[in-house]
Amino acid sequence: MIRKASICEITILVVVICTSLLSSAVGVAEETASASTNAPTAVFPLTTKSPEALRLVQQALDLYLDQVEQAQAIDILRKAVRVDPDFAMGHEFLAQISLDSAEQVGEQEKAFATRNHATNSEQLVIEWYQDAADHKLISAIPKMNDVLNQYPHDKWVVWMTTWWLFNQSQFERASAIYERSGITDSPGLINNMGYNYAAMRQFDKAFAMMDKYVALLPNDSNPQDSYAEILRLAGRFNQSIEHYRASLVINPEFYSSQFGIADTYSLMGNQVQARKEYEVGFQKFTLPELQQILWKTREATTYVREGDYDGAEHAFQTIADYAHTKQNSQAEADTYRQMAMFEQNPKQALVYLGKAEAATQEGKNSLKTAISQELAQILRARVEVALKMGNKQMANSNLERLAAMAESCNDKLSELAYHGAAGEVLFSEHKYDEAISHLEEDNNNPFSLKLLAAAYQKIGYSAGAKRTNDTLTNLNDPTLEQALVVPAFRKCSDTPASCGGNTKSAALKR
Amino acid sequence: MWAAILPCAVQAKQFAIVADKANSTSNLTAAELVKIFTAHKQNWPDGKTITVVMRDPSSADMQLVLRKLLNMTPEQAHAFVLAHREAIMVADTDDAVLRFVSTSPGAIGVVDLYSLTQDVNVVKIDGKLPVEQGYFLRGN
Repeated sequence: MIRKASICEITILVVVICTSLLSSAVGVAEETASASTNAPTAVFPLTTKSPEALRLVQQALDLYLDQVEQAQAIDILRKAVRVDPDFAMGHEFLAQISLDSAEQVGEQEKAFATRNHATNSEQLVIEWYQDAADHKLISAIPKMNDVLNQYPHDKWVVWMTTWWLFNQSQFERASAIYERSGITDSPGLINNMGYNYAAMRQFDKAFAMMDKYVALLPNDSNPQDSYAEILRLAGRFNQSIEHYRASLVINPEFYSSQFGIADTYSLMGNQVQARKEYEVGFQKFTLPELQQILWKTREATTYVREGDYDGAEHAFQTIADYAHTKQNSQAEADTYRQMAMFEQNPKQALVYLGKAEAATQEGKNSLKTAISQELAQILRARVEVALKMGNKQMANSNLERLAAMAESCNDKLSELAYHGAAGEVLFSEHKYDEAISHLEEDNNNPFSLKLLAAAYQKIGYSAGAKRTNDTLTNLNDPTLEQALVVPAFRKCSDTPASCGGNTKSAALKR
Repeated sequence: MWAAILPCAVQAKQFAIVADKANSTSNLTAAELVKIFTAHKQNWPDGKTITVVMRDPSSADMQLVLRKLLNMTPEQAHAFVLAHREAIMVADTDDAVLRFVSTSPGAIGVVDLYSLTQDVNVVKIDGKLPVEQGYFLRGN
């Protein structure tokens, strides 16, 4: 399992000062930092007036990084910023590792507001994250690089930069920073880099990282769970299951490994065994509501993989009803949207999308952002259904709504939904170059990848088509989107005649 | 359980056109940029000589840039750059491109968006920055 964030064991330049001495102490810290710029010993400073706050932050970072205790680490960081409300980097750490989106936003604001109590280096980090939160990438990136250039061997800086770049899909850059850092003994960093190499499909390096991670924390379930997940991404399903089981032997309560086994069987095509494993998980563990819905959805997806659409409809409807009972509007909407995605009858698909949209309008117990993102996904699905029906007018009107939303809400997921939908409309109009520029933005979505490969083929960019085909063929992601696209795509690629085509490119047609 | 958030390896790249901090040009049209890269435009409005700097034209990134800019095959682009050595400098890394641009008045370079430092200015193309929809130098 990749943690939401992980923090390496850091060496902290201790700057414990009285408020009245703040400015002079900051000056000393900055001088020390700049004097050691680029040296292997250059360490990122942390500024607080409270020794207790500093101790708590160190404890939190250690717990978070090396002991996989994210919840405890968050609690301790909360204490630290209560002890010193002006501890800017304390707020920043909390913003970065909190699991509560409202807290993430609030703590980022506090970090920004208190940054004048910190050194220039700390201010750069806080402003980099603030710019990124404000979608000002052109301003954020130079700040990140400047901090990195000052502290290229500091574990904390290496973690911050590689993790941020990973989330920006800048895998090559992240791995280059890690390799240059010379850091080889940080479990959290090793875990993250394992996923980074896996994303680059450099599985030899990813497995080497996992071997190290397991060796460093032999009594921890997470290394085995991560190893299993990366093996699954590589398509090595049997080995993946072995590692998930090893994780459960270490800690029988590590429930993500039980569901990891179920997901893996589903990807292997053994839906009966997958459902048995999901049920074991549901019987054995009391799950948080969202986790319950997530894995119930995965279980329901097994019916889609079998082509049993009645079974899928029943299973998804049960989830929608459950979400409705729990007054979780976003989950209810998302479930109806997914039902529309596998529904064979476009008119019925529109009925489901109507229910999904109605749920977003209720908006109960859901963050506004989540509802807005869901609505964007629904509009994208509406475009897709309209195109299936050959109704260009409906497709374009929904695309216009989606474009307006993406323009106004400044949200990455909504923008991706727009790009996916726009690419689809343009592809249907045979405007391949324009379609490509949109589809390339939505590169996590199997539907967009499939169209992108076809569009590359159409313009004669065969290297791009081959690379995209390879990515899609090797996508082992236990989602409904993967279930709807990848197995059929693989089948068509392997035996074009089975889907009515005579050539490989025929498999790309929608 | 986090596999769904793992991004794919296919990622649209974005390239930034950079100039030294003293350069007052903040925007170029795509057509002007093509003229600069084909050595048909060799001076800035203030009269300074333009020097283009980029990474190895046979690298995958630069192939994409040259495909967008010059509409040439990789082989054609490589030959073109070799034939215009006096106007186009080749650097080993993005860092080297940035160092050259930041210290050479009149220089213009192309780097990966994520290499940007505070030592250079980003020049818009057709009024757009790299992150904006419809930006010219992005692709796969």
